[in-house]
Amino acid sequence: MNTVEKQLLNEPKRIVQNVITAVIVIVFLMWSLTAVDLSNFTSNGVDIAKNILHGIVTPNTDLLFTFNTNGVPYLLLETMAIAFLGTIVGAILAIPLAFLSASNIVPKPIAFIIRLLLIFVRTIPAIVYGLMFIRVTGPGPFAGVLTMALTSIGMLSKLFVDIIEDLEVNILESLESIGCTTFEKIRYGIIPQLSAMFLSVAIYRFDMNLRDAAILGLVGAGGIGAPLIFAMNGYKWSEVGSILIGLMVLILLIEFFSNKIRNKIVRG
Amino acid sequence: MIKFQNVQKKYDNGYVALKDINLTIDQGEYVAVIGLSGAGKSTLLRCVNRMHDISTGSLLVNDVEVSKLKGSEIRNLRRGIGMIFQSFNLVNRISSLKNVLVSFVPDMPMWRKVLGLYTKQQKIEALEALDRMNILDKAFIRVDQLSGGQQQRVALARTLAQKPSIILADEPVASLDPITAKQVMTDFQRINKEMNMTVIINIHHVDLALEYATRIVGIRSGEIVYDGPASEVTDEILDHIYNGKLEEELTGN
Amino acid sequence: MNMLKAKSITLPNGKIVPFKRSKAPWIILALLICFYYSVQITGFDLQILTKRIGQFWVIIGDMIPPNWNYLNKLWQPLFDTIKMSLLGSLLGSVFALPLAYFASSNIGKNQFVVTATKFILSLLRTLPTLVAALIATFIFGIGTMAGTVAIFLFTIAYVGKLLYEQIENADLKAFEAMQSMGHSTFSAFRYAIMPQIMPNYLSNSIFCFEGNVRYAAILGYVGAGGIGLLLNESLGWRNYANVGMILLLLAVAVFIIENASEYLRKKLL
Ligand SMILES: Nc1ncnc2c1ncn2[C@@H]1O[C@H](COP(=O)(O)OP(=O)(O)OP(=O)(O)O)[C@@H](O)[C@H]1O
Ligand SMILES: [Mg+2]
Repeated sequence: MNTVEKQLLNEPKRIVQNVITAVIVIVFLMWSLTAVDLSNFTSNGVDIAKNILHGIVTPNTDLLFTFNTNGVPYLLLETMAIAFLGTIVGAILAIPLAFLSASNIVPKPIAFIIRLLLIFVRTIPAIVYGLMFIRVTGPGPFAGVLTMALTSIGMLSKLFVDIIEDLEVNILESLESIGCTTFEKIRYGIIPQLSAMFLSVAIYRFDMNLRDAAILGLVGAGGIGAPLIFAMNGYKWSEVGSILIGLMVLILLIEFFSNKIRNKIVRG
Repeated sequence: MIKFQNVQKKYDNGYVALKDINLTIDQGEYVAVIGLSGAGKSTLLRCVNRMHDISTGSLLVNDVEVSKLKGSEIRNLRRGIGMIFQSFNLVNRISSLKNVLVSFVPDMPMWRKVLGLYTKQQKIEALEALDRMNILDKAFIRVDQLSGGQQQRVALARTLAQKPSIILADEPVASLDPITAKQVMTDFQRINKEMNMTVIINIHHVDLALEYATRIVGIRSGEIVYDGPASEVTDEILDHIYNGKLEEELTGN
Repeated sequence: MNMLKAKSITLPNGKIVPFKRSKAPWIILALLICFYYSVQITGFDLQILTKRIGQFWVIIGDMIPPNWNYLNKLWQPLFDTIKMSLLGSLLGSVFALPLAYFASSNIGKNQFVVTATKFILSLLRTLPTLVAALIATFIFGIGTMAGTVAIFLFTIAYVGKLLYEQIENADLKAFEAMQSMGHSTFSAFRYAIMPQIMPNYLSNSIFCFEGNVRYAAILGYVGAGGIGLLLNESLGWRNYANVGMILLLLAVAVFIIENASEYLRKKLL
């Protein structure tokens, strides 16, 4: 046997590992396939699909260009306001929570407890928050703002923590060596490092909140969601079309600008 | 045999990178192409395997008119020509062996291609190519854990496994230290002699070029200004290749 | 010199150093204006909030203690939720791969195909998942199938976008080398780009699955199957002890999935 053949025998064999992975994936796939249930699918479905498509491509232009509180432009404005305020309130609340769950700032047990709390905050679906806040404020966009704020906290604090844990601490040492107080260390050593990244993350979340705004409509917490869902439940597909078109154009525009702004912020 | 006849290369932006090139290289030659940065060395090399198209003139590789090839014919041409890059251009996340095996892929049936399944014969051939470059022991190491010189040898092994008749090397030693650079140049020399492969190297180290290559082609702003045996290159000739511009300006004024 | 564009400082040695004028005050002003009008539009009122915040806890109070007897009715719907997220995420991730291939401007040679694919992905991404789910229930009937379709569409859009961005940022050196040895574009992609993007692709898919489980709970609300249907029902009957049980179970499930996914993703990267 020459050296080449010997070396060939040394080839790391991944067969067992690959087979196990494949089996696991296939088992999960088969298991999840049991969720496929086409028994409710009727030939009706195709007609409905056609109707929906037809409605969406022939939107109700009246609704699209009416400038009172029932028109699409105002609803979009209200949705943006909800997402904007929700993001700001959520971001403000997320900052202390993030610091409290960063393991390089507070003792490990405290960080762990806060993290657990955050998981709960994140798991509760927006609908439930919506219902809880409607008791506080009554139905309307105010409840929407509070709901958005609470649902934003989960993701924002998680991303904030990542940023905090990447913090460059050497700078603090050098600031201390020039004789800075704790406040000065935070003001000149920490905030400049964090603010740009935090802002970028918050803008990203604003983008997401706008997409999720439709959910608020389910519980009557303001925004464009409620009219959208009413229209869908009433099979008024051309109204659905005009609302969807408005929403999609807005989301694309906001995404375009938010990407631009975030690039500017992060790259300086 | 590679034959340039009145070849001109104009880039899309209108820049003429090669002007009226006439050059014949026989099978089994070891040619070093030298010249200033921007002279057109890379352009010249990349025309040979149609990584670039020529604008006018004719370019024959083994009696095939390169500029007339299309689609899969181009890929067939490239199968017979190996190319080596300054930055090795290996797939970083996978082992040396897998990098070498990639050279068999174009000839494999579709299903093997998609799944990435190689035959035992192919593995042995790839290992032999690694062995020829003296890095058999690194076969199962990820290439990003190898030194620059070792990576260039994996790249050479990949090219050898392809069994080309021509090797084009674009500054293969530019990112290596002097000792490793010499070793790699010796590797080229060995391949050239043992397997009678044509080797064309773009290189900035004139000493290495003169020491290892048998023929030198000097390029200045897209034109061949010297073509002859390495043994006959003098300081005046080097001056002419590298400082020609300066010379021209001086005499012009 | 244009005094409007930049301030400048002259050093003692005569050198002039231009300073960019900071835009921060303008940005803050713009934000404040947005803030003011948002408050007006939404009727945001801190006073109401502080006065009536007690009401917020009423429902939570009702949720505790949760109705443990309800638990054995929840397993099946919970698994349905997980199943539809899993299937939707799996298929969505698989379909995202070819779409991302065609949407990458550095691989695709046909500018029209690249732009068209990118546009389709953008449209899919802006379509609210909830709307997709609701439409799907009209077509496929009430049940997990509708949820699976909605999650499938969302996953394609999400994973597809991240993937093509990654392909566009991938190192093309090995790709070029493979083309130089006669690989077709597809095979050069398969052997030079795929190994680079694979770990991140899998990681993104798993992350997406994790998010989808959480989202699937909401999808049930519009009839798209799973545990959300029961959540909707319990909320409708104001049976908050049941709601508490559902939320607790969901939190535990999400916690387990999150940790498993984090473990898997760490192994991949
Ligand atoms: N894709 C391109 N489009 C337009 N002009 C190009 C392109 N590639 C190269 N050039 C120009 O063609 C000329 C020759 O370039 P080439 O890369 O062949 O030089 P080189 O001799 O290999 O230089 P170096 O030693 O720096 O690698 C240069 O002036 C360069 O600016
Ligand atoms: Mg070059």
